Amino acid sequence: MSEFFILDFSPVYALIALLPWDCFQVGFMQRALFALFLLAPMAAVLGIEVINFRMAFFSDVVGHSAFTGMACGLLLSIEPRLAMLVFGVFTGIVIMAMYRRLHFSSDTVIGIVFSGVVALGLAVVSRAGGMARDMRQFLYGDILAINEVEISLLLLLSAGLLLFQFLGYNSLLSIALDPVTARVRGVRVALWQYFFAGFLALVVMYSVWAVGVLLVTAMLIVPAATARNLARSACGMFWWAIAAAQLSAFAGLALAAQDWLVTAGGATIILVACCLFGISVVWAIVRNR
Amino acid sequence: MDSDRYALCPAVRFDRISVRFGQTNILENVCATVPQGGATALIGPNGAGKTTLLHCLVGTVSYNGAVVDTRPRIGYVPQQMRLDDGMPLLVGEFVSMHVHRRPLWLGRSAYARKRARDLLGMTGAGRLEAGRMGELSGGELRRVLLAAALACDPELLLLDEPAAGVDVSGERRFWEMLDAVRRQRKLTQLVVSHNLPLVARYATHVICLNKRLVAEGAPRSTLTSSTLMRLFGIPIHLYPDQCDSVEPPCPEYGAPEGESSHV
Repeated sequence: MSEFFILDFSPVYALIALLPWDCFQVGFMQRALFALFLLAPMAAVLGIEVINFRMAFFSDVVGHSAFTGMACGLLLSIEPRLAMLVFGVFTGIVIMAMYRRLHFSSDTVIGIVFSGVVALGLAVVSRAGGMARDMRQFLYGDILAINEVEISLLLLLSAGLLLFQFLGYNSLLSIALDPVTARVRGVRVALWQYFFAGFLALVVMYSVWAVGVLLVTAMLIVPAATARNLARSACGMFWWAIAAAQLSAFAGLALAAQDWLVTAGGATIILVACCLFGISVVWAIVRNR
Repeated sequence: MDSDRYALCPAVRFDRISVRFGQTNILENVCATVPQGGATALIGPNGAGKTTLLHCLVGTVSYNGAVVDTRPRIGYVPQQMRLDDGMPLLVGEFVSMHVHRRPLWLGRSAYARKRARDLLGMTGAGRLEAGRMGELSGGELRRVLLAAALACDPELLLLDEPAAGVDVSGERRFWEMLDAVRRQRKLTQLVVSHNLPLVARYATHVICLNKRLVAEGAPRSTLTSSTLMRLFGIPIHLYPDQCDSVEPPCPEYGAPEGESSHV
């Protein structure tokens, strides 16, 4: 990726350095925390829509397509992370196009694409050796290695997604409830669905970098599910999901860096998110008594 | 009923509509009209193409032929929605979504709240505003969906089996409300329904469909026993004078022996 697209985030890092934890005094932790503060809310908000569309499996497939994208990138000498992004968006659009045009359920379409994508990735890896290190990064994620260019792109993606959610939140909800009613209301169903698939693919790809492919679905679904337990309204669910995602990201990253724990950042973030979900379940049970 | 008043001025005209899904003909050369300001009922057996004809009208299905209308504002009440119990979507939020474009996550404006309350009140669902969509009964959901459909001040209201899953008295009350709303707002209704007695009572125009047009016109002259026999393949008498049997009980309408009411 080109070096020209770098913004100066030093004021943000200076703010993060004010946090009373030693782990946030080093540059790579400051970058990781800032990246997670941008990424976590995006994943949470799209997670709400993934739940509404019943497309949790979709994010899994796009996540696994990162593996194929990375392998193809290495094979063709293209920057692997760029290849991941492009291949991920391509996979997302293909799934949406098949879902819209073929009379199969979304599970079937996603299952077909999943098989094809993973098989292609395995075929490429089996042909070209020496990819073990990159594959480990793909499996477990490595948010600590994120650089300034990638954070700048993440910021751009955040701005795009904010605009998308401002213009399209109601339309996407309407489509999820009943596409025909949405169409009658003047919603351009295909347009919003393709934009949704594209944004979701981009966020999933960044999430793979953060938490790895094994946990990418959790990053989308768990905060949204927590919010569902806590919120009384759609408006509340949106903000609860963001709060749960931010808290998980912050606490997970901080905990992972403690000397007495020293665990993988991505896994710790998801563990904190799951704990919050557990608390939300208890809260929902008590409230509904 | 006041059927004749609506006979001459069509709000929608289906002109030789044909729809195929793969090798299957769903609709074949259907020509029918929906009179302006009336309550038109679309009846026929399962798989007759009733919902498909509605979808032709709203443009979600590819078809041959033409749908001629005056580009009216359309309100649509679907047969069902993909709701689940746990979805935290308030009834008020759902109706407000149809009132303005502001995303729900920014909260609802005072105007949207008032308008949603008014619409829900109009359909007898005012007390449901603070409830969750997923917790509504079948009858309550129908009223809420109708309120949302009315949000755009429709000139043409389409309803796809609006009372499916509602008990007999609930369905009757729903049709009464629909009738009142239509007269009050002077809109045109096109309703897919399986409830023939209620169609006979409340519709002003009937389209009988079984892939092709079987008959259309005012209910009294259209819902004859011979038409219904062609449509459903079983004897149904909606009006007492259609029954050939001199002495009740009628041997054909299907009620247990000794009872004399007609279907």
